[in-house]
Amino acid sequence: MSVSAFAEDAPAEKPVVAPMRLEVIDPYIEVHTGPGRGYPIFYVIEQGESVDVLKRRAGWYEVRSHNGKTGWAASAQISRTLQATGEPADLPSVSFGDYLKNRWRIGFTSGEMFSGELDGADLFSATASYRFYSWLGTEIEIGKIFNSGVEGDFYNANILVEPFSRWRLSPELLLGRGVMSLDSQPELTPLDIDDSDFTNYGLGLNYYLGRNFVIRGEYRRYSASTDDDKVKLESWKIGFNTFF
Amino acid sequence: MLSRAILLLATVVAPLAFAQTPSATDENATIAEPEKVYRSKVRAEFVELGVTFGVVNIENFTSEFLAGANLTFRATEDFFLQVNYVQASDASLSSAEKRQGRAFDGDDRDFTHYDLLVGYNLFQGEFFTGGATANLSALYVVAGVGDTEFGGESRFTYTVGLGYQVAFNRRYIVRFDMRDYLYESSLLTDDNTTNNIQLSAGISYLF
Repeated sequence: MSVSAFAEDAPAEKPVVAPMRLEVIDPYIEVHTGPGRGYPIFYVIEQGESVDVLKRRAGWYEVRSHNGKTGWAASAQISRTLQATGEPADLPSVSFGDYLKNRWRIGFTSGEMFSGELDGADLFSATASYRFYSWLGTEIEIGKIFNSGVEGDFYNANILVEPFSRWRLSPELLLGRGVMSLDSQPELTPLDIDDSDFTNYGLGLNYYLGRNFVIRGEYRRYSASTDDDKVKLESWKIGFNTFF
Repeated sequence: MLSRAILLLATVVAPLAFAQTPSATDENATIAEPEKVYRSKVRAEFVELGVTFGVVNIENFTSEFLAGANLTFRATEDFFLQVNYVQASDASLSSAEKRQGRAFDGDDRDFTHYDLLVGYNLFQGEFFTGGATANLSALYVVAGVGDTEFGGESRFTYTVGLGYQVAFNRRYIVRFDMRDYLYESSLLTDDNTTNNIQLSAGISYLF
Protein backbone atom coordinates (compact mmCIF):
# COMPACT_ATOMS: atom_id res chain seq x y z
CA MET A 1 0.00 0.00 0.00
CA SER A 2 1.25 3.42 -0.87
CA VAL A 3 1.34 6.30 1.54
CA SER A 4 2.89 8.76 -0.81
CA ALA A 5 0.37 11.42 0.13
CA PHE A 6 1.83 11.56 3.60
CA ALA A 7 5.45 11.40 2.63
CA GLU A 8 7.52 14.35 3.70
CA ASP A 9 7.42 17.29 1.40
CA ALA A 10 11.05 16.96 0.57
CA PRO A 11 12.15 20.47 -0.42
CA ALA A 12 10.59 22.15 2.62
CA GLU A 13 12.67 20.36 5.23
CA LYS A 14 16.36 20.26 4.56
CA PRO A 15 17.88 17.69 6.90
CA VAL A 16 19.82 20.26 8.87
CA VAL A 17 18.98 18.45 12.07
CA ALA A 18 18.77 14.69 12.02
CA PRO A 19 15.32 13.40 12.98
CA MET A 20 14.76 12.24 16.49
CA ARG A 21 15.74 8.58 16.63
CA LEU A 22 14.22 6.26 19.20
CA GLU A 23 14.45 2.58 19.98
CA VAL A 24 11.31 0.46 20.18
CA ILE A 25 10.90 -1.35 23.50
CA ASP A 26 7.36 -2.63 22.97
CA PRO A 27 7.14 -5.96 21.12
CA TYR A 28 6.27 -3.91 18.06
CA ILE A 29 4.91 -0.56 16.85
CA GLU A 30 2.05 -0.56 14.41
CA VAL A 31 2.48 1.87 11.52
CA HIS A 32 -0.79 3.18 10.09
CA THR A 33 -1.34 4.87 6.74
CA GLY A 34 -2.94 7.90 8.42
CA PRO A 35 -3.14 9.61 11.82
CA GLY A 36 -6.29 7.88 13.04
CA ARG A 37 -7.18 4.59 14.68
CA GLY A 38 -9.09 3.31 11.66
CA TYR A 39 -6.39 3.78 9.07
CA PRO A 40 -4.96 0.44 8.01
CA ILE A 41 -1.73 -0.88 9.49
CA PHE A 42 0.70 -1.45 6.64
CA TYR A 43 3.93 -2.03 8.51
CA VAL A 44 5.24 -3.11 11.88
CA ILE A 45 8.46 -1.90 13.50
CA GLU A 46 9.80 -4.56 15.83
CA GLN A 47 11.34 -4.44 19.26
CA GLY A 48 14.94 -3.26 19.24
CA GLU A 49 14.66 -1.52 15.91
CA SER A 50 15.16 2.20 15.60
CA VAL A 51 12.42 4.58 14.56
CA ASP A 52 12.72 8.19 13.44
CA VAL A 53 10.02 10.58 14.66
CA LEU A 54 9.21 13.18 12.02
CA LYS A 55 6.03 15.09 12.86
CA ARG A 56 3.34 15.26 15.47
CA ARG A 57 -0.40 15.46 15.02
CA ALA A 58 -3.11 15.16 17.67
CA GLY A 59 -2.58 11.74 19.24
CA TRP A 60 -0.19 10.53 16.55
CA TYR A 61 3.42 10.72 15.43
CA GLU A 62 4.66 10.36 11.91
CA VAL A 63 7.50 7.84 12.00
CA ARG A 64 10.01 6.35 9.62
CA SER A 65 11.48 2.91 10.06
CA HIS A 66 15.17 2.19 9.50
CA ASN A 67 14.36 0.85 6.02
CA GLY A 68 12.46 3.97 5.00
CA LYS A 69 8.79 3.06 5.55
CA THR A 70 6.93 6.21 6.59
CA GLY A 71 3.59 6.16 8.38
CA TRP A 72 1.78 7.06 11.58
CA ALA A 73 2.07 5.54 15.04
CA ALA A 74 -0.16 6.22 18.03
CA SER A 75 1.51 8.48 20.58
CA ALA A 76 0.85 5.94 23.33
CA GLN A 77 3.13 3.50 21.53
CA ILE A 78 5.79 6.07 20.82
CA SER A 79 5.83 6.97 24.50
CA ARG A 80 7.16 3.48 25.15
CA THR A 81 10.38 3.96 23.25
CA LEU A 82 13.89 4.78 24.36
CA GLN A 83 16.17 7.63 23.47
CA ALA A 84 19.68 6.92 22.30
CA THR A 85 20.77 7.68 25.86
CA GLY A 86 18.63 4.80 27.11
CA GLU A 87 16.11 7.05 28.83
CA PRO A 88 12.41 6.83 28.02
CA ALA A 89 11.37 9.19 25.25
CA ASP A 90 9.94 12.44 26.55
CA LEU A 91 7.81 13.77 23.77
CA PRO A 92 5.16 16.45 23.98
CA SER A 93 1.75 14.91 24.56
CA VAL A 94 3.13 11.56 25.65
CA SER A 95 5.24 12.45 28.67
CA PHE A 96 3.69 11.69 31.99
CA GLY A 97 3.58 14.08 34.88
CA ASP A 98 2.83 17.76 34.92
CA TYR A 99 2.05 18.15 31.29
CA LEU A 100 -0.12 21.19 31.91
CA LYS A 101 2.80 23.21 33.19
CA ASN A 102 3.96 25.93 30.81
CA ARG A 103 1.13 25.16 28.46
CA TRP A 104 -1.09 27.51 26.54
CA ARG A 105 -4.74 26.75 26.42
CA ILE A 106 -7.19 28.32 24.04
CA GLY A 107 -10.88 27.78 23.75
CA PHE A 108 -14.30 29.23 23.84
CA THR A 109 -17.26 29.24 26.16
CA SER A 110 -20.94 29.80 25.78
CA GLY A 111 -23.62 30.24 28.38
CA GLU A 112 -26.35 32.29 29.89
CA MET A 113 -26.89 34.88 32.59
CA PHE A 114 -29.56 33.74 34.96
CA SER A 115 -30.18 36.48 37.46
CA GLY A 116 -30.36 40.23 37.77
CA GLU A 117 -30.96 42.71 35.06
CA LEU A 118 -29.41 40.56 32.35
CA ASP A 119 -31.45 37.48 33.24
CA GLY A 120 -31.73 35.26 30.19
CA ALA A 121 -28.94 36.96 28.24
CA ASP A 122 -26.83 34.65 26.09
CA LEU A 123 -23.10 35.06 26.10
CA PHE A 124 -20.05 33.62 24.49
CA SER A 125 -16.34 34.28 24.79
CA ALA A 126 -12.94 33.29 23.47
CA THR A 127 -10.29 32.51 26.04
CA ALA A 128 -6.54 32.15 26.09
CA SER A 129 -4.75 31.00 29.20
CA TYR A 130 -1.27 30.13 30.30
CA ARG A 131 -0.28 27.70 33.06
CA PHE A 132 2.66 28.67 35.20
CA TYR A 133 2.22 25.49 37.20
CA SER A 134 0.02 22.49 36.59
CA TRP A 135 -2.39 23.95 39.18
CA LEU A 136 -2.13 27.70 38.57
CA GLY A 137 -2.77 29.77 35.48
CA THR A 138 -4.00 33.06 34.14
CA GLU A 139 -6.60 33.61 31.52
CA ILE A 140 -7.83 36.44 29.35
CA GLU A 141 -11.35 36.35 28.07
CA ILE A 142 -13.05 38.41 25.39
CA GLY A 143 -16.75 37.95 24.93
CA LYS A 144 -20.10 39.16 23.80
CA ILE A 145 -23.44 39.22 25.54
CA PHE A 146 -26.87 39.41 24.00
CA ASN A 147 -30.49 39.43 24.90
CA SER A 148 -33.46 40.68 22.99
CA GLY A 149 -32.83 44.28 23.97
CA VAL A 150 -29.14 44.31 24.87
CA GLU A 151 -25.90 43.73 23.07
CA GLY A 152 -22.48 44.23 24.55
CA ASP A 153 -18.86 43.25 24.97
CA PHE A 154 -16.84 42.19 27.95
CA TYR A 155 -13.16 41.70 28.59
CA ASN A 156 -11.65 40.19 31.66
CA ALA A 157 -8.56 38.66 33.14
CA ASN A 158 -8.78 35.78 35.58
CA ILE A 159 -6.58 33.69 37.81
CA LEU A 160 -7.31 29.99 37.64
CA VAL A 161 -6.56 27.52 40.40
CA GLU A 162 -6.96 23.87 39.54
CA PRO A 163 -5.50 21.87 42.42
CA PHE A 164 -6.22 18.38 41.14
CA SER A 165 -5.36 18.75 37.48
CA ARG A 166 -4.29 15.13 37.22
CA TRP A 167 -7.86 14.04 37.75
CA ARG A 168 -9.89 13.41 34.68
CA LEU A 169 -12.75 15.39 36.23
CA SER A 170 -11.10 18.26 37.99
CA PRO A 171 -12.55 21.29 39.82
CA GLU A 172 -11.26 24.78 39.15
CA LEU A 173 -11.57 28.07 40.99
CA LEU A 174 -11.57 31.34 39.15
CA LEU A 175 -11.16 34.92 40.27
CA GLY A 176 -10.83 37.96 38.09
CA ARG A 177 -11.71 41.44 37.03
CA GLY A 178 -13.04 42.91 33.86
CA VAL A 179 -14.99 45.58 32.05
CA MET A 180 -18.33 45.33 30.36
CA SER A 181 -19.92 47.72 27.93
CA LEU A 182 -23.55 47.29 26.95
CA ASP A 183 -25.80 48.94 24.41
CA SER A 184 -29.51 48.57 24.13
CA GLN A 185 -30.71 47.49 20.70
CA PRO A 186 -32.78 48.99 19.23
CA GLU A 187 -31.63 51.95 21.28
CA LEU A 188 -34.89 52.72 23.02
CA THR A 189 -34.73 51.81 26.68
CA PRO A 190 -31.86 53.16 28.75
CA LEU A 191 -30.20 50.55 30.93
CA ASP A 192 -29.28 50.71 34.58
CA ILE A 193 -26.07 48.98 33.68
CA ASP A 194 -24.14 50.07 30.64
CA ASP A 195 -20.41 50.59 31.08
CA SER A 196 -19.14 48.95 34.19
CA ASP A 197 -16.17 47.34 35.89
CA PHE A 198 -16.80 44.02 37.45
CA THR A 199 -15.22 41.46 39.70
CA ASN A 200 -16.08 37.87 39.00
CA TYR A 201 -15.46 34.62 40.76
CA GLY A 202 -16.57 31.17 39.84
CA LEU A 203 -16.31 27.48 40.19
CA GLY A 204 -15.64 25.28 37.22
CA LEU A 205 -15.32 21.63 36.43
CA ASN A 206 -12.88 20.43 33.78
CA TYR A 207 -13.34 17.14 32.02
CA TYR A 208 -10.22 15.98 30.19
CA LEU A 209 -11.46 14.24 27.11
CA GLY A 210 -8.04 13.19 25.96
CA ARG A 211 -4.84 14.94 26.78
CA ASN A 212 -5.28 18.04 24.67
CA PHE A 213 -9.00 18.53 24.80
CA VAL A 214 -10.99 19.75 27.77
CA ILE A 215 -14.68 20.37 28.29
CA ARG A 216 -15.32 22.90 31.01
CA GLY A 217 -18.52 23.71 32.85
CA GLU A 218 -18.63 26.78 35.02
CA TYR A 219 -20.76 28.78 37.40
CA ARG A 220 -19.79 32.41 37.85
CA ARG A 221 -20.90 35.39 39.93
CA TYR A 222 -20.26 38.94 38.90
CA SER A 223 -20.31 42.06 40.97
CA ALA A 224 -20.50 45.01 38.60
CA SER A 225 -20.20 48.61 39.66
CA THR A 226 -21.74 51.25 37.47
CA ASP A 227 -21.65 55.00 38.08
CA ASP A 228 -24.09 54.94 40.92
CA ASP A 229 -25.01 51.38 41.56
CA LYS A 230 -23.80 47.87 42.25
CA VAL A 231 -25.30 45.04 40.26
CA LYS A 232 -25.05 41.33 40.95
CA LEU A 233 -25.06 38.92 38.04
CA GLU A 234 -24.76 35.17 37.69
CA SER A 235 -23.97 32.97 34.73
CA TRP A 236 -23.39 29.38 33.75
CA LYS A 237 -21.12 28.43 30.89
CA ILE A 238 -19.85 25.49 28.99
CA GLY A 239 -16.54 25.65 27.18
CA PHE A 240 -14.23 23.69 24.92
CA ASN A 241 -10.49 24.08 25.19
CA THR A 242 -7.34 22.72 23.68
CA PHE A 243 -3.73 22.80 24.89
CA PHE A 244 -0.61 23.54 22.94
CA MET B 1 -16.44 46.28 14.91
CA LEU B 2 -13.41 46.95 17.07
CA SER B 3 -14.33 44.26 19.54
CA ARG B 4 -14.76 41.81 16.73
CA ALA B 5 -11.37 42.68 15.37
CA ILE B 6 -9.78 42.23 18.77
CA LEU B 7 -11.54 38.94 19.30
CA LEU B 8 -10.41 37.61 15.99
CA LEU B 9 -6.94 38.93 16.41
CA ALA B 10 -6.61 37.37 19.83
CA THR B 11 -7.74 33.98 18.65
CA VAL B 12 -5.53 34.19 15.61
CA VAL B 13 -2.40 35.54 17.18
CA ALA B 14 -2.34 33.60 20.43
CA PRO B 15 -1.84 30.11 19.03
CA LEU B 16 0.38 31.22 16.19
CA ALA B 17 2.69 33.04 18.48
CA PHE B 18 3.01 30.07 20.74
CA ALA B 19 2.89 27.19 18.31
CA GLN B 20 5.85 24.97 18.81
CA THR B 21 8.16 25.56 15.95
CA PRO B 22 11.41 23.79 15.41
CA SER B 23 14.20 25.97 16.62
CA ALA B 24 17.61 26.00 15.10
CA THR B 25 19.64 23.63 17.18
CA ASP B 26 23.30 22.96 17.06
CA GLU B 27 25.10 19.82 18.09
CA ASN B 28 26.28 21.27 21.39
CA ALA B 29 22.74 21.81 22.54
CA THR B 30 21.97 18.17 21.84
CA ILE B 31 24.58 17.13 24.31
CA ALA B 32 23.74 19.72 26.92
CA GLU B 33 19.96 19.30 27.07
CA PRO B 34 18.85 16.31 25.05
CA GLU B 35 15.26 16.43 26.24
CA LYS B 36 14.70 20.02 25.21
CA VAL B 37 16.14 19.49 21.80
CA TYR B 38 14.05 16.43 21.27
CA ARG B 39 10.92 18.30 22.18
CA SER B 40 11.61 21.03 19.72
CA LYS B 41 12.70 18.72 16.94
CA VAL B 42 9.34 17.13 16.37
CA ARG B 43 7.22 19.69 14.64
CA ALA B 44 3.55 19.77 15.54
CA GLU B 45 0.88 20.08 12.88
CA PHE B 46 -2.18 21.37 14.67
CA VAL B 47 -3.31 24.68 13.21
CA GLU B 48 -5.05 25.28 9.92
CA LEU B 49 -5.72 28.68 8.39
CA GLY B 50 -8.32 28.75 5.67
CA VAL B 51 -10.48 30.78 3.35
CA THR B 52 -14.03 29.98 2.38
CA PHE B 53 -16.38 31.07 -0.39
CA GLY B 54 -20.02 30.31 -0.89
CA VAL B 55 -23.61 31.42 -0.72
CA VAL B 56 -25.70 32.36 2.29
CA ASN B 57 -29.43 32.49 2.20
CA ILE B 58 -30.52 35.28 4.55
CA GLU B 59 -34.00 34.35 5.65
CA ASN B 60 -36.70 36.77 4.48
CA PHE B 61 -34.09 38.46 2.33
CA THR B 62 -31.91 37.24 -0.51
CA SER B 63 -29.16 34.73 -1.18
CA GLU B 64 -25.79 36.40 -1.32
CA PHE B 65 -22.25 35.51 -2.25
CA LEU B 66 -20.11 35.24 0.83
CA ALA B 67 -16.43 35.05 1.64
CA GLY B 68 -14.63 34.36 4.86
CA ALA B 69 -11.65 33.10 6.78
CA ASN B 70 -11.25 30.47 9.43
CA LEU B 71 -8.77 29.05 11.85
CA THR B 72 -8.93 25.42 12.98
CA PHE B 73 -7.17 23.84 15.93
CA ARG B 74 -6.94 20.07 15.92
CA ALA B 75 -7.47 19.14 19.54
CA THR B 76 -7.56 15.37 19.22
CA GLU B 77 -7.85 12.82 16.48
CA ASP B 78 -11.62 13.33 16.57
CA PHE B 79 -12.28 16.85 17.85
CA PHE B 80 -11.32 20.26 16.56
CA LEU B 81 -12.06 23.85 17.45
CA GLN B 82 -12.74 26.38 14.74
CA VAL B 83 -13.10 30.17 14.53
CA ASN B 84 -14.95 31.46 11.48
CA TYR B 85 -15.57 34.88 10.07
CA VAL B 86 -17.76 35.32 7.00
CA GLN B 87 -19.18 38.34 5.26
CA ALA B 88 -21.69 38.93 2.48
CA SER B 89 -21.56 42.51 1.34
CA ASP B 90 -24.42 44.73 0.29
CA ALA B 91 -27.40 42.40 0.25
CA SER B 92 -29.74 43.18 -2.61
CA LEU B 93 -33.38 44.06 -2.04
CA SER B 94 -35.74 41.40 -0.82
CA SER B 95 -39.02 40.92 -2.64
CA ALA B 96 -40.82 42.74 0.15
CA GLU B 97 -38.40 45.65 -0.10
CA LYS B 98 -38.87 45.82 -3.87
CA ARG B 99 -42.55 46.49 -3.27
CA GLN B 100 -42.27 48.65 -0.17
CA GLY B 101 -38.86 50.28 -0.33
CA ARG B 102 -35.59 49.72 1.49
CA ALA B 103 -35.86 48.65 5.10
CA PHE B 104 -32.28 49.69 5.91
CA ASP B 105 -29.18 51.02 4.23
CA GLY B 106 -25.42 51.25 4.21
CA ASP B 107 -23.38 48.95 6.46
CA ASP B 108 -26.58 47.41 7.73
CA ARG B 109 -26.96 45.66 4.39
CA ASP B 110 -23.76 43.69 5.00
CA PHE B 111 -24.30 40.28 6.51
CA THR B 112 -21.38 39.58 8.82
CA HIS B 113 -21.05 36.56 11.02
CA TYR B 114 -18.40 35.05 13.22
CA ASP B 115 -18.53 31.98 15.38
CA LEU B 116 -16.62 29.63 17.63
CA LEU B 117 -17.27 26.00 16.85
CA VAL B 118 -16.40 22.59 18.11
CA GLY B 119 -16.19 19.93 15.44
CA TYR B 120 -16.16 16.18 15.46
CA ASN B 121 -14.82 13.98 12.69
CA LEU B 122 -17.57 11.44 12.18
CA PHE B 123 -16.16 9.33 9.40
CA GLN B 124 -12.46 9.51 8.79
CA GLY B 125 -11.16 7.84 5.70
CA GLU B 126 -8.99 7.91 2.67
CA PHE B 127 -9.84 9.30 -0.72
CA PHE B 128 -8.13 7.86 -3.77
CA THR B 129 -7.13 10.29 -6.47
CA GLY B 130 -5.18 7.80 -8.51
CA GLY B 131 -3.72 4.35 -8.36
CA ALA B 132 -0.90 5.29 -6.07
CA THR B 133 -2.21 8.12 -3.92
CA ALA B 134 -4.41 8.08 -0.85
CA ASN B 135 -5.58 11.35 0.65
CA LEU B 136 -6.89 11.72 4.18
CA SER B 137 -10.54 12.72 4.37
CA ALA B 138 -13.27 13.12 6.95
CA LEU B 139 -16.96 13.83 7.15
CA TYR B 140 -17.47 16.09 10.14
CA VAL B 141 -20.14 17.89 12.10
CA VAL B 142 -19.75 21.26 13.78
CA ALA B 143 -21.77 23.14 16.38
CA GLY B 144 -21.17 26.36 18.19
CA VAL B 145 -22.11 29.91 18.92
CA GLY B 146 -21.40 33.29 17.48
CA ASP B 147 -22.61 36.68 16.43
CA THR B 148 -24.53 37.68 13.31
CA GLU B 149 -24.93 41.29 12.27
CA PHE B 150 -27.46 42.22 9.65
CA GLY B 151 -30.04 44.95 9.24
CA GLY B 152 -28.75 46.85 12.25
CA GLU B 153 -29.17 43.87 14.53
CA SER B 154 -26.46 41.98 16.36
CA ARG B 155 -27.73 38.57 17.37
CA PHE B 156 -26.55 35.62 19.39
CA THR B 157 -26.35 32.83 16.85
CA TYR B 158 -26.24 29.08 17.05
CA THR B 159 -24.33 27.41 14.25
CA VAL B 160 -24.74 23.79 13.21
CA GLY B 161 -23.18 22.25 10.17
CA LEU B 162 -21.99 19.28 8.24
CA GLY B 163 -18.80 19.23 6.21
CA TYR B 164 -16.41 17.10 4.28
CA GLN B 165 -12.68 17.60 4.07
CA VAL B 166 -10.02 16.11 1.86
CA ALA B 167 -6.30 16.69 2.23
CA PHE B 168 -5.19 16.97 -1.38
CA ASN B 169 -1.66 17.03 -0.22
CA ARG B 170 -0.04 17.15 3.11
CA ARG B 171 -0.67 20.82 3.80
CA TYR B 172 -3.63 21.86 1.69
CA ILE B 173 -7.06 20.73 2.79
CA VAL B 174 -10.21 21.30 0.77
CA ARG B 175 -13.48 21.63 2.66
CA PHE B 176 -17.11 21.60 1.64
CA ASP B 177 -19.56 22.89 4.22
CA MET B 178 -23.24 23.25 4.80
CA ARG B 179 -24.07 25.38 7.81
CA ASP B 180 -27.17 26.77 9.41
CA TYR B 181 -27.04 30.02 11.36
CA LEU B 182 -29.97 30.18 13.75
CA TYR B 183 -30.85 33.45 15.41
CA GLU B 184 -33.79 35.51 16.54
CA SER B 185 -34.47 38.43 14.26
CA SER B 186 -36.92 41.25 14.76
CA LEU B 187 -36.46 42.81 11.35
CA LEU B 188 -39.85 41.74 10.02
CA THR B 189 -41.73 40.43 13.02
CA ASP B 190 -40.73 40.33 16.67
CA ASP B 191 -38.33 37.57 17.73
CA ASN B 192 -38.67 35.44 14.68
CA THR B 193 -36.26 32.47 14.65
CA THR B 194 -34.43 32.51 11.34
CA ASN B 195 -32.49 29.73 9.64
CA ASN B 196 -29.79 31.07 7.39
CA ILE B 197 -28.25 28.35 5.33
CA GLN B 198 -24.72 28.65 4.03
CA LEU B 199 -23.23 26.44 1.35
CA SER B 200 -19.52 26.93 0.93
CA ALA B 201 -16.23 25.52 -0.19
CA GLY B 202 -12.84 26.44 1.12
CA ILE B 203 -9.22 25.61 1.26
CA SER B 204 -6.99 25.66 4.29
CA TYR B 205 -3.30 25.36 4.98
CA LEU B 206 -2.04 23.15 7.76
CA PHE B 207 0.87 24.71 9.62
